[in-house]
Amino acid sequence: MNAALLRREGGLSLRQYGAAARLSFRRQFAYPAATFWGLLTNLFFGALRVAVLLALFGLKPQVAGFTPADAVTYTGLTQAFLAAFSLFGWYDLMRTVHRGEVVTELLRPHSFLGFWMAQDAGRAAAQFLLRGVTILALYAALWGLNWPEGASGWLLTVLSAGLAWACGFAFRFLVNGAAFWSPDAVGIGRFAWALMGLACGFLMPLAFFPAWFQTLLAWTPFPSMMNSTVEVWLGHVSGAAALRVLGVQAAWTVVLLGLAQFVLARGLRRLEVAGG
Amino acid sequence: MHLLRLYFRLLGAQVRSQLAYPTAFVLDALAAALVTGAEFSAFALVLPRFGGLTGWTLGEVALLYGLAELAFVLMDFLFGGFDAPNLSAHVRTGSFSTFLLRPVPLPVQVFGSDFALRRLTRVALAAGIALYGVSQVDVAWSAGDVLLLAGSVLGMIAFFGGLFVVGGTLTFWTVESVEAMNVMTYGGRTLISYPMSIYAEWLRKTFTYLIPAAFLSYFPVLHLLGRPLPDGLPGWAAYLSPIVGPLMLAAAFAFWRVGVRQYHGTGS
Repeated sequence: MNAALLRREGGLSLRQYGAAARLSFRRQFAYPAATFWGLLTNLFFGALRVAVLLALFGLKPQVAGFTPADAVTYTGLTQAFLAAFSLFGWYDLMRTVHRGEVVTELLRPHSFLGFWMAQDAGRAAAQFLLRGVTILALYAALWGLNWPEGASGWLLTVLSAGLAWACGFAFRFLVNGAAFWSPDAVGIGRFAWALMGLACGFLMPLAFFPAWFQTLLAWTPFPSMMNSTVEVWLGHVSGAAALRVLGVQAAWTVVLLGLAQFVLARGLRRLEVAGG
Repeated sequence: MHLLRLYFRLLGAQVRSQLAYPTAFVLDALAAALVTGAEFSAFALVLPRFGGLTGWTLGEVALLYGLAELAFVLMDFLFGGFDAPNLSAHVRTGSFSTFLLRPVPLPVQVFGSDFALRRLTRVALAAGIALYGVSQVDVAWSAGDVLLLAGSVLGMIAFFGGLFVVGGTLTFWTVESVEAMNVMTYGGRTLISYPMSIYAEWLRKTFTYLIPAAFLSYFPVLHLLGRPLPDGLPGWAAYLSPIVGPLMLAAAFAFWRVGVRQYHGTGS
């Protein structure tokens, strides 16, 4: 069966996407025990990362524009965004392709990419509220946090975080698209998430890396998926420079979403669903 | 001997299935190495900015990190079947009940139920990091030093294997609280990958006296580098890893037997 024939365009109703996001948002609250243990694990690993960074600083007041307090804040931010940005991996789309469930979704009269994006937005928002805000509060209580400066600092940070999610979503969607070509795309995923973890600044702030490595990464979309938001939050870039960073994030988001749409169209053309 | 042959046949069957899609396997193997590689290279890349880690050079940290990673990956090869996500899947789907029906000892079946060949690249990389550490530290190597490190790795394999067995056993009762075991297994592995002097006093003491992870590799490496053990502990405490690890494993299997005895399936 040619799946492309099944796909009907149109019916673009914002209400529908809103409903998808809302349902996905609510689903995240269904497992309070898992959330609790997840938080505990997150906090433990966060404490280890704080210890390594503070030990690296030693008595130095500042390294590469970071004070020890900045480094602690960086750790809190990355741990807080961990679940919302699915930094440890995301295989939802891949699974529906491998299981053939993707057909049911293709029958629905709305944009496939848009529907997934709405769902992921709901998931990410709920994960940030559940885990992210709690982690930030715990960090503030345990080690103290630096906050964005003033209303403009907050506004730029919120916009940057939204763009980081969108850019990361487009990348995750692209990686999952490999499922249209390979019956075992999980390995491709594992590779991609490991690369993202290093290059988006989750393992270490990118500012600490050697200049050549930072230059290399500046040509990739990965810093836009996390590191940019950290820089804006800490006020390491502000004013016009911050707007430029947001512009780069937006540009990468548009490029990756375009690529995702292209890969999706190609993938659907060759999709064969074997049985139910 | 018969059981060992059976065990290797179980592994062989899994290896053949994993090699069925060679491209996917190669990518998966590369990804496995990248997970270890990315974490350590992030540390190695930023270290020059700071000079050192509270008096520890890159080579010395590489030795600690490489030993812990090597032992953990080897343990994963051996005990992967007991890892909570794997075992809980068997319990939930009911396939664990079929294990009980077969005329083969239960542990042999669980040991042989999850062998991920792709982790071989991680073993190679971890060994590489440890060997780099060995080549960089200022030690006049004696046979005793080599035995000390070998004992440290064996102790770690038994210790973390024991934690996997405990986590797997817990899935007989509950699926949810098992995530907390990750703090002890993956968390413990990460914790002992760096010199433990960098942690808060309570954290270091918890992982020395309550969960005796410090005995596994931190004390052996301190002793090897000719540094005193913390809290005025005697030098021979560095040689306890091959005792601490198997003790943990024996206790874990005692717990496992209790769990299996009360296992009553899920009805699926």
